[in-house]
Amino acid sequence: MTGPMTIRGSGRTVALVAAAAMAAASMAACGSGTSGGGGAGTGTLVVDSSFDLKTIDPGREYELTGQMLTKGMYETLLTFADNDLTKPVGDLATSYQLSPDAKTLTLPLAQGRVFSDGSPITADDVVFSLQRLIGLKGNPSFLLDGVTVAKKDATSVVLTSAKPNPALPFILPNPALSVLNSKVVTANGGTTDDKDGAEKYLNGASAGSGPYVLKSLDVASQAVLTKNPKYDGPDKPGYDTVVIRNVKAATQVLNVQKGDSQVALDLSGDQVKGLDPSKVTVTSGASAYTIFLLLNQGPAVSTATSNPQFVSAVKKAIDYSGLLEVAGTGSVQPAGIIPSMITGKLPAGEALKQDVAGAKAAFAASGAAGQKPKLAYPSDLTLNGLSFQTLAEKLQSQLAAAGIAIDLAPAPVATELDNYRNGKEQMGLWYWGPDFPDPANYLAFAPGGTIGKRVNWPATAAPDIDKIATTAAVTADPAQRDTLYQQFQQGLNATGPFIPLVQPASNIVTAPTVAGASYNPVWTVDVGNIAAK
Amino acid sequence: MSVTSQPSSPVTGPDDTPDPAPATSRGPDRDPGRLAHPLVRYVARRLGVSVLLVLGVTLVTFVLTNLVPGDTVAANLGQQSAEDPAIVAAYRAHYGLDRPLPEQYLTYLGNLAHGDLGESQQTHRAVVADLSAAVPATLEIAIGAMVLSILIGVALGVVAAVRRGHLADSALRLVSLVGISVPTFWLAMVSFYVLSYQLDLAPGSGRLSPATTAPPDVTGLYTVDSLLAGQWETFGDAVAHLMLPTLVLTLYTVGLLTRFTRSAVLEVLEQDFVRSARAKGLPRRTVLLRYVLRAALVPILTVVGLAFGALLSGTVLVEQIFSWPGMGSYAYQSASHLDLPGVMGVGLVVGVIYVVINLVVDLLYGVIDPRVRVA
Repeated sequence: MTGPMTIRGSGRTVALVAAAAMAAASMAACGSGTSGGGGAGTGTLVVDSSFDLKTIDPGREYELTGQMLTKGMYETLLTFADNDLTKPVGDLATSYQLSPDAKTLTLPLAQGRVFSDGSPITADDVVFSLQRLIGLKGNPSFLLDGVTVAKKDATSVVLTSAKPNPALPFILPNPALSVLNSKVVTANGGTTDDKDGAEKYLNGASAGSGPYVLKSLDVASQAVLTKNPKYDGPDKPGYDTVVIRNVKAATQVLNVQKGDSQVALDLSGDQVKGLDPSKVTVTSGASAYTIFLLLNQGPAVSTATSNPQFVSAVKKAIDYSGLLEVAGTGSVQPAGIIPSMITGKLPAGEALKQDVAGAKAAFAASGAAGQKPKLAYPSDLTLNGLSFQTLAEKLQSQLAAAGIAIDLAPAPVATELDNYRNGKEQMGLWYWGPDFPDPANYLAFAPGGTIGKRVNWPATAAPDIDKIATTAAVTADPAQRDTLYQQFQQGLNATGPFIPLVQPASNIVTAPTVAGASYNPVWTVDVGNIAAK
Repeated sequence: MSVTSQPSSPVTGPDDTPDPAPATSRGPDRDPGRLAHPLVRYVARRLGVSVLLVLGVTLVTFVLTNLVPGDTVAANLGQQSAEDPAIVAAYRAHYGLDRPLPEQYLTYLGNLAHGDLGESQQTHRAVVADLSAAVPATLEIAIGAMVLSILIGVALGVVAAVRRGHLADSALRLVSLVGISVPTFWLAMVSFYVLSYQLDLAPGSGRLSPATTAPPDVTGLYTVDSLLAGQWETFGDAVAHLMLPTLVLTLYTVGLLTRFTRSAVLEVLEQDFVRSARAKGLPRRTVLLRYVLRAALVPILTVVGLAFGALLSGTVLVEQIFSWPGMGSYAYQSASHLDLPGVMGVGLVVGVIYVVINLVVDLLYGVIDPRVRVA
């Protein structure tokens, strides 16, 4: 009888301990469920975002989460006030002066501004930061391709471009071009060439002048920022602490409604439809992404898609408003490849329209009947909640309604990217997000441009469009630029191998207690401007 | 003997066969007290095989990852950067991608011997540093789930076997079937919605609440580290956050263990020695716990080893839903970005875990069953 009695006794003990542990955990759970969220009253702002984070070293980061975090901790020479992307304004520079040939940009620096350690921001810091970005040969280095940076005097710097570069003032607000405390960064291994070893330091501490400083970072789970007590810039940081967490969209929906977070950044149109308006505020609008269809112009890749009549047939066969229904509330059809909030956009009336009869006629004239080009797309990619798989299936059915048969060729984004960039796709469904909000960024779609080459569309294939693009790239006068970029897009819409389909919606969901969380295509939201109501 | 090959008889298995050569015949320089003992020889041999297995894991992972169509540069650099030959060349040189594949593999092995798993292309950190944060996060939920599963699953399995054909048996079989059949990700989403969002019985996502600071890093297990630091509030918060992911993982494994325990106990209940024990007049409880359950533990242990492997794979989806920064999330991100060092690191860790579990299970066979020990 000894054995069973011992076992029974142990069982009781285990049961008691387990019950006590469960009770403690439940109490803690309930406690953390209500207080852990850190509402406005606690001085902690919790932002849920689906991370694509690799680093927050300004010279190396070029992902959306990195841009958002860097924007909160650093400042740039120029910025966009109130998210007006058409007009760069001073930040650490008071203003800018672009020479008539668009090759020299002079920037007088604001005086009296300091880094988070209290040391003054100097022209040397600016030169070091931008030269480091160039020298690192990292992801964002292309932003200053062909640009040299020099100190003009103690209070101003000059950026000189090898070619006319009217887009430069629109590039400078990018958080990758943040100004770093050169003394601190140099002391921690920073250089202005690819021998730089400061990334590790900059992923553990910030060396900027922004409204917040870095407290801790785990690229997989969360970043914690605290208020910069030395900050004397234009933002109005409203919280002592900002926690930015890596949370999937499906969980963000619950967190923000429960009060565990105050801002959710990745909800789709369908997800925001079901939200309780008494618990959250939804701000919806078109994002700056352009989802487009490409048709390869290389006859060796496809004789069908390289046929101008086939391209015309596809453009006319698509029901663009039907795609918007799939994309959800807030999405819009871009009139051209340049999205609706960027200078040089086409008027909405010039957008491509469905013409089924015209599509059938063009398809018959193409002689491509019987061919089934493959539509390649990243099947695991969703952009602001819009699945490329869904969009591809919708396109297939729309084209079929006009008699155009295509095969779907889904693949994971990591593998399909290779085909896309090597010009192997017959038809492709991809998106473009602006590196900087200037129409020059869309010259990638010109014949012979970055994307043009991916569809085997050289400059010689469309000399008229190429000429407009070349002229637009070096024109500094704003009005002339507008006109040229509109002509560029009109040419693309008429005969180009790209079909702009959708600008998916951007939904920012906030707790009712929060204000100032508005969408920006470059840095998503400026946490320095979010405050309690 | 591995956990995938349950012994048909608990007496012996291929790996348990004693070396027929006497210890003294191995030469005068050998220390007979150290290597002659069968158990020591057995463990040494298993460890040697384990090293070869781990090497095999690295080779297979390396080859398979490089066979995946796609360019790691394209997957990790931005659109514009990937068009710049200088940036691409610098990237390839930094990660050693500009060298032939055999050289890359040999370099990897050389670095591995020094405990260096390379630098992750997705986090720009040492893979060792990434894994030292991710592995404890996963183990914290996996070990908790495993312990709970064993306690609950074995107990329910025994009850079901003893009450065979009764209502309790039918109910437990149904429950265990549901536990096995329900997809883990669905269970995770529903439990999060109901228990956290609707009923507020559990906190939201992550390992700690946003306002809670992580304890000083000693083991990487927040529960343990917070206790070591005497941070009781942090401990409570960590336990609370563990509850839901642990519960979800537990439910699946409990179903599995309940079913296997039931069938194993039923098999033993039919054995002669059980009838003899009853005939001697031993109390029913004694017969059940000291004779039946002990004899049934060998197959149960085999399933426990298998279940732990299945549990680790289940963490991939569960961690995504609960925003748990563990090995599953890391593996998913690494694979999505064709991050070769990251994928290799995860493959290596999972391989080592499997090898260790195999070894432990095999050793436990001897502890549980004296016949294995004697053999």
